[in-house]
Amino acid sequence: MPENILVIGGGPAGLHAANELAELGVSVSLVERDAFIGGNPKKFKYKFLFPDLQPAENVIGELIKKAESNKNIRIYYSSEVTDFKENGKKFDVTIKSPKGTETKTFNSVIVATGFEHFDPATDSKYSYQLFDDVIDIKDLEKMMGEGNFNRPSNGKPPRNVAIILCVGSRDRHVGNQYCSRVCCTVSVKQAIELKEHFPEMEVYIFYMDIRTYGFYEDLYWKAMEEHDVQIVKGRVAEITSGPDNTVICKGEDTLLRGPFEIPFDMVVLASGMEGGPQSPEMSKKLGIELDEHGFLKPANITLSPFKSNKDGIFLAGACTGPKAIVDAIVEGGAAAMNAYIYAKKNAQ
Amino acid sequence: MLNERPVAEKGEHIIARHLIEDDRIKEEKNLVIDGVDVSGRWNTFIETRVDSEYDRSFFEEIKKTVVGSRINRCWQCGMCTASCTVTPLYRRFNPRAFIYMMQLGNLKELKKYVDVAWRCVGCYKCSQRCPKQVNPAEMMEALALVVKKYFPEELEKKALKIDEDVKKIYEEMILGRGRLDLAKLHTGSMRKMGRSKELLGKKIERDAIFKMIKDGRAFSVLRLGTPPKWHNSKKAIDKYLKNIGTLEESL
Repeated sequence: MPENILVIGGGPAGLHAANELAELGVSVSLVERDAFIGGNPKKFKYKFLFPDLQPAENVIGELIKKAESNKNIRIYYSSEVTDFKENGKKFDVTIKSPKGTETKTFNSVIVATGFEHFDPATDSKYSYQLFDDVIDIKDLEKMMGEGNFNRPSNGKPPRNVAIILCVGSRDRHVGNQYCSRVCCTVSVKQAIELKEHFPEMEVYIFYMDIRTYGFYEDLYWKAMEEHDVQIVKGRVAEITSGPDNTVICKGEDTLLRGPFEIPFDMVVLASGMEGGPQSPEMSKKLGIELDEHGFLKPANITLSPFKSNKDGIFLAGACTGPKAIVDAIVEGGAAAMNAYIYAKKNAQ
Repeated sequence: MLNERPVAEKGEHIIARHLIEDDRIKEEKNLVIDGVDVSGRWNTFIETRVDSEYDRSFFEEIKKTVVGSRINRCWQCGMCTASCTVTPLYRRFNPRAFIYMMQLGNLKELKKYVDVAWRCVGCYKCSQRCPKQVNPAEMMEALALVVKKYFPEELEKKALKIDEDVKKIYEEMILGRGRLDLAKLHTGSMRKMGRSKELLGKKIERDAIFKMIKDGRAFSVLRLGTPPKWHNSKKAIDKYLKNIGTLEESL
């Protein structure tokens, strides 16, 4: 009899874990809350991925195709885990789907519930949702995915765009003290895409620190050296309406020492990542630990970032903290291996 | 009759003279170096503008106060200055830069801003938005204490003494009676500034006084007396101020 493993969450981490396990001959149940799999990249229609600007479809599409075509994977769409009990070294789990409720016994569990984009509307200083031309990176990603690079307010090409970093990240005021890791790179990537589409447009990035770590730095250099993207050091404190249907960014240029109030056609907020409501929910249902940032807490952040504090329950992807898609996929593989070992050991 | 030569201005032949502060320019009347007379235009020297030390003791001092206790949190993002209600009026009033100067103990730089350093109006917009919860608004209080302690003669020079005097009138009013008498505050401040005449001179000022007398605002304090149970409130306020006083002395 093959091992039974439950994967919660059908984003990049969950899909990769499920695919790997299915290859090993494990019978995988994949529980997904949405009516589709692919997670946030699918939901918000990411178009190109950093660092090489390859189409997101190459990655997400591939993962989805693999999962959907493998007979060892059973996908529960629009479903949730309603009951979770430990049964010796195994787990009795009740899954509620539109087709009905089902209770199964699993040898091990992988949690890959991912993240939520920070909602900039909760931080009133950015006037998100107040002005049509103030959008955030997920909105822009979706717009560009649909081939639309124009201003939401009047459908005309923007003459100048401000990109504001660290929205909802590194900010005690909103309660998120951590760096969301990918927004800097996503922002310079989007700046490049905007400039490639409208070479005449001016793009300014308002930053405190630009954290395009590792080889992502290449994109940052490219944005400046090949596309003349201008960076300005200072966080923006207020966004108000300006003349001629513009929005004014009020901030301080900390290098020149002095305030500025500059009208822009479009403002893009680089909103960060949050653990979302699903992380505490999983923590409560499965009895695993939550960290102080609102993400799930790994047993050992360096030695076993893919393990929860409970034996037999493994973690993968952005549910343990902000990370890039590549890291989520790597963790999916690591969690799959560990879940398989645990299942094998405790199969009897 | 002697030909009158124009008096040379300090460092007048320095190119980009406006970039150098007066007290950094050294000129001697008769200067001899190694037996060579270098009087004249060759004896102008500019002191180095390179900072050669950080004074961390100053940082420690600020950190010990209640209002300045979070100085170690600031990472200079500029959110405070960007939010500031005063900065658009006085560009030289820059909370972020002040906090930085306080962090590095750069009193030399801070001294240049004595005239604007006390301009904070306490709207607390900066403290509300600060991503590190440095509480810049209260940091500006710490700054005011610093200015008071380290640059008392600057305060006199810049005629900021009047501000202190008006504060005294205000405090006496609030603490003595528990009410604010605007007419008294106005006339008192004008007197301190030596502008009492204006009260009766310009029409607009005179009108204001007549108006206040007419609608009874000027007498309202006398008529109303102190607020109910003022004795208890006064005791609490006195106690609070005493604590503040000890804090101020500790700096």
